[in-house]
Amino acid sequence: MSWDGTESPNGAELLEIARATLLDVIVPGLAGDARFKALMVANAIAIATRELRLGTVAIRAALQAIGTDARTLGTEIRAGAHDDDADLAARLLRLAEERCRISAPRSL
Amino acid sequence: MDRAALADWLAAAAGQPVEIIGMALMSGGAIQQNWRLDAVVRGVTQAWVLRKDAPAKLSHSRSRAEEFALLQVAFAAGVTVPEPLYVCSDAAVLGTPFFVMRRVEGIAAAHRVVRGETLGGGREALVAALGRELAAIHAIRPGHENLDFMGEIDPNPCGRFVRDARKRLDSAQNPRPILEWGLRRLELTAPPPGDIVMCHNDFRTGNYMVTDRGLTGVLDWEFAAWGDRHEDFGWLCAPCWRFGGVGEAGGVGSRETLYGAYQQASGHAVDPAKVAWWEIAAAIRWAVIASDQAARHVSGTEPSLELALTGHIVPELELGVMRACA
Repeated sequence: MSWDGTESPNGAELLEIARATLLDVIVPGLAGDARFKALMVANAIAIATRELRLGTVAIRAALQAIGTDARTLGTEIRAGAHDDDADLAARLLRLAEERCRISAPRSL
Repeated sequence: MDRAALADWLAAAAGQPVEIIGMALMSGGAIQQNWRLDAVVRGVTQAWVLRKDAPAKLSHSRSRAEEFALLQVAFAAGVTVPEPLYVCSDAAVLGTPFFVMRRVEGIAAAHRVVRGETLGGGREALVAALGRELAAIHAIRPGHENLDFMGEIDPNPCGRFVRDARKRLDSAQNPRPILEWGLRRLELTAPPPGDIVMCHNDFRTGNYMVTDRGLTGVLDWEFAAWGDRHEDFGWLCAPCWRFGGVGEAGGVGSRETLYGAYQQASGHAVDPAKVAWWEIAAAIRWAVIASDQAARHVSGTEPSLELALTGHIVPELELGVMRACA
């Protein structure tokens, strides 16, 4: 593969080693609130890494697949215009799954 | 915090000199601050907690004076709560209103409670205790003279829930079609209204204290309101409040034990279908709150890692709603 001009490791790779260092080296020496905060930092790094690796193309596609602007759709759903729309339910489930791939993959 | 001003105010409230010998901010509490307070009154050391508004107060929660009144009523009704002692609505003393309650022993940290085999006297014993606490809370009924601030009673809590959630979605930045779907399903499947009782409305693992001997205190009364008894069961049992624990009742133990202990103490059977409705409502309610919390970070009004991460809970809650509503 030819060189694209950027330096390695890339952003996601840097975040992964940063997170591993945080968890393996720094967190064991912490207690109480500092430990809690450090674990939150590790969690934030994990989410950002997944977003970098996966991209948001799949989420955007799942959003497109519901067919209409999300706010308009919400209004229609509330008004009862989609009560028997099993196809829409399947698409909304798919959208939730794609969002979870970045935010909460263990829930899948 | 102005220690001298606090000591003076406490002395006036207690009617005798109060010497403060220790004070420290306890962990947790994005909405309220809890201060560990050690004082000496007439030669006797007192273990207290001072609870006051954090700088970023949520407009949806009750005032400290109201929470204090709720604690008094709950304490008198035999609910296991920290004994409420003194309340100060005058913001001039400490900058915000506050109250003082007796400190109870134990831990509340949810991740430890769901993993502890002996905490609360054992898992099933703890779940039975939770059922008895709910029975005592729900025995408090509208018309109580000290609870006039609780406002009008909505005879249809399910309808009220859907209406309130939609109102909050309408004032939020992002559209939430998945939560709209869930709310519409709830609207279409709402069970008929039942008795109106005192609901704690934040009765979940993490909001009660336990020792190895048992449950020592039900905390955080700031969302209490009149409602349906099943609201509290839905919140406690919802998958989003199990913290990785295996038991469906709060991540701690079995529903059977929880419902059984409740029925024995209250004389009222728990309707699992109504609990299921309120569990979906719980996921939606938490998603709406989480989304609002993240917005406080995103808007720049309150930069916070905790608030920022809370936003990323929303997709998981949405997934739970869609799986439950499919």
